[in-house]
Amino acid sequence: MKVLYVCPVEMAASGRLDLVDSLTGHRGRVWNVSWNPTGTVFASCGEDKTVRLWTKSSGQRTWMNKTVLTDGHQRTIREVAWSPCGNYLASASFDATTAIWDRKSGEFECNATLEGHENEVKSVCWAKSGNLLATCSRDKSVWVWETSEDDEYECAAVINAHSQDVKKVIWHPHDDILASSSYDNTIKLFREDISDNDWINCGTLASHESTVWGIAFDKTGTRLASCSDDKTVKIWQQYLPGNPEGVVTQSNEPTWKCVCTLSGYHSRVVYDIAWCHQTDLIATACGDDAIRVFKETPSSHKNQPEFELICTVHRAHTQDVNSVAWNPKEAGLLASAGDDSRVNLWQFKEETIIF
Amino acid sequence: MSHFSGILQLTDLDDFITPSQECIKPVKIDKSKSSGTGSKIKIQSDGSYVQLDEGGAIQPLQRVDISLTDCLACSGCITSAETVLITQQSQDEMMRIFNEKRKLIDSGQIAEAQFIVVSISMQPALSLAETFCIPPESALKKLTGYFKRLGADLVVDMNVADDFVLLEAQEEFIERYRMKADGSKSALPMLASSCPGWVCYAEKTHGSYILPYISTTKSPQQVMGSLVKNYLPQYLKDSNRPIYHVTVMPCYDKKLEASREDFFDSTTNTRDVDCVITAIELEQLILSERKNLAEEEEGELDWPFPGEKSTLHLTSSLGSGSGGYAHHIFLHAAKELFPDQQASLEFKALRNQDFQEVTLEKDGKVVLRFGIANGFRNIQNLVQKLKRNKCSYDYVEIMACPSGCLNGGAQIRPKDGTSPKEMISKLEALYRQLPLKAKPECNDAVNTLYDTLLGGRNSDKKKALLHTKYHALEKNSNALNIKW
Repeated sequence: MKVLYVCPVEMAASGRLDLVDSLTGHRGRVWNVSWNPTGTVFASCGEDKTVRLWTKSSGQRTWMNKTVLTDGHQRTIREVAWSPCGNYLASASFDATTAIWDRKSGEFECNATLEGHENEVKSVCWAKSGNLLATCSRDKSVWVWETSEDDEYECAAVINAHSQDVKKVIWHPHDDILASSSYDNTIKLFREDISDNDWINCGTLASHESTVWGIAFDKTGTRLASCSDDKTVKIWQQYLPGNPEGVVTQSNEPTWKCVCTLSGYHSRVVYDIAWCHQTDLIATACGDDAIRVFKETPSSHKNQPEFELICTVHRAHTQDVNSVAWNPKEAGLLASAGDDSRVNLWQFKEETIIF
Repeated sequence: MSHFSGILQLTDLDDFITPSQECIKPVKIDKSKSSGTGSKIKIQSDGSYVQLDEGGAIQPLQRVDISLTDCLACSGCITSAETVLITQQSQDEMMRIFNEKRKLIDSGQIAEAQFIVVSISMQPALSLAETFCIPPESALKKLTGYFKRLGADLVVDMNVADDFVLLEAQEEFIERYRMKADGSKSALPMLASSCPGWVCYAEKTHGSYILPYISTTKSPQQVMGSLVKNYLPQYLKDSNRPIYHVTVMPCYDKKLEASREDFFDSTTNTRDVDCVITAIELEQLILSERKNLAEEEEGELDWPFPGEKSTLHLTSSLGSGSGGYAHHIFLHAAKELFPDQQASLEFKALRNQDFQEVTLEKDGKVVLRFGIANGFRNIQNLVQKLKRNKCSYDYVEIMACPSGCLNGGAQIRPKDGTSPKEMISKLEALYRQLPLKAKPECNDAVNTLYDTLLGGRNSDKKKALLHTKYHALEKNSNALNIKW
């Protein structure tokens, strides 16, 4: 006779990343992967000074390298970014320039080069509105570029708020607010001052103890995730002036407060972070060759949120993972790039484990 | 925190090019002859470095000193540490000279004392006037009184130098305009040369692309330097007496300019301008005496120049508070080149207030297009247009600081809650209230000096004393500088 007994049931969110594809083609490190706005194409770039575009033909399972963009840069390409319309690509290079590629001729061609940074450009990002572009560099500056109708790019601001190498620039998902992260351990926010069309530093987020390599807004733009050389991930919450929580704000600017620090999960520097605007999952790229996925717990509170690690892929790449990017349309599809010169594609599947 | 302004570096201003990451100036090391295997270097507990030779003997190693001249000659970075400047161009150094002089006078050795000349430019006088709440002309006279109390032999305003620069720049423009008509590609646009931050940036970053366009006319500071060191000995009838020349300027970059090799006379071993002192530093000096400039006795400005002494010391022009170059040269060029056209000085702002242009039309076609570009972002756009052959300007007044020289990097910062923008508009308002200057052509002193000191308007001496050269710097690309 079977003995029946009742044990307490504990449920925990969990998930797994299944490798969908592992793509070769780049020579040397792959620095960055970036999806186009419709999620049908992604671009990768790296040490081999090329930008590669990858697509999947209908009915096909595998991603194919359809286009290789060469001759745009003389040194490593560190990052590539799509315009919101999907018709332009910007590539940031260690040759101190940013190239703008458009496909007016049908194929992507480099039709403008943004010069001005003193040395290595580290990151580039297009604002949601489509007519602003930001770049940042080892020269410690963040530049805002304005595009005009005739595809001329003019410098709208040179911002020297950071005291060290600036690693990453990203735009707010809805507004013309710019965020940058730096070797000076801080994240800074900028907006345009309408009175003189100059850009001002409207917030400094300090809590990381080392270089902040990556930053990502959630879909609402009221939260920001950051990852750092200090092996932690931090979640920052925006508090508007006059907020009910009583968080102090200054000069009528919102305050961004660190409300959660995820430490103990990463064994080495965290190079990149991606916050999925469909599933709200956070993926990280780590120097310990792993990709991790975090999820906010259901009972989590806005002012003291809790996130749990729900998936770790050890040896996601055979060397450092440099970049992770969620597909903007296909929930759970993640692209990653690594020092092993590969681009990997992963599908996230959630599963609930009952203990 | 470094204090360079505008394009070079400025605290609390988001509009400048950054200083270096690390100094990459290669250092020459004299190897000791005795060592075959190389020697050991040890760091002592006090942080000094010593070399241990084979016998175990300890030899202290000399620290490498990077001089300002090294920095100016290197493409490694736009500026260097501020400490580099402190040796030659500081308030301490100026006070040392004044104190030395006083000691010599006290001990009766007047003949050996340096003859000290102070040239005061308009912008720092306005900055001090605003800070100490004194009317501008009175502030200038109280500043004169202050320097005389310290021991200055001559205190002068910059009007003569300003007029020389306007006259030389307008002639240069006409000449370049005609060269362009004759097919020269690098004649126009002519770019203003009086902002040392801009010139230094152009030399280090854009070299041969841009330098041919920069006006060869010296800045007012350096024209003043030429006059003080070349004309004053005649005036004093004593060519042996050493002259120490201090200029009072609105920006730290003027210190870099004064330190350029081009303005060093190796035969006399002196610089045209020995020490540049700024509004901020003067405020500190005055406050350190626990004094208010308002309490200082007014002094009379001197007039060592030929002809009748000018009574107007602080004047404004129709144009910018940076010298009014664009306006002045525009009017002159319109009159000279298109005498039938009515030129109006309606500058209109383009992308922002710091980028303005004015045009002269003839038969519906633009025949002259002048611009004013202040601040680094506008300089960038201009430079990039120039590089891509898309620059349609004939002349551009370029200043590294947003709002130009009234907002120079070493103008006194606002206090008690005044915003920097409010401060600039206050100085702008003070400037507009100054009496309008007379045409530089009517300056008798300048006209006489052309004939006497300079030996005419086309002489080599004039060229040497009123014009200068620029030097492109090779980019030093060193694999060791790469950083991910």
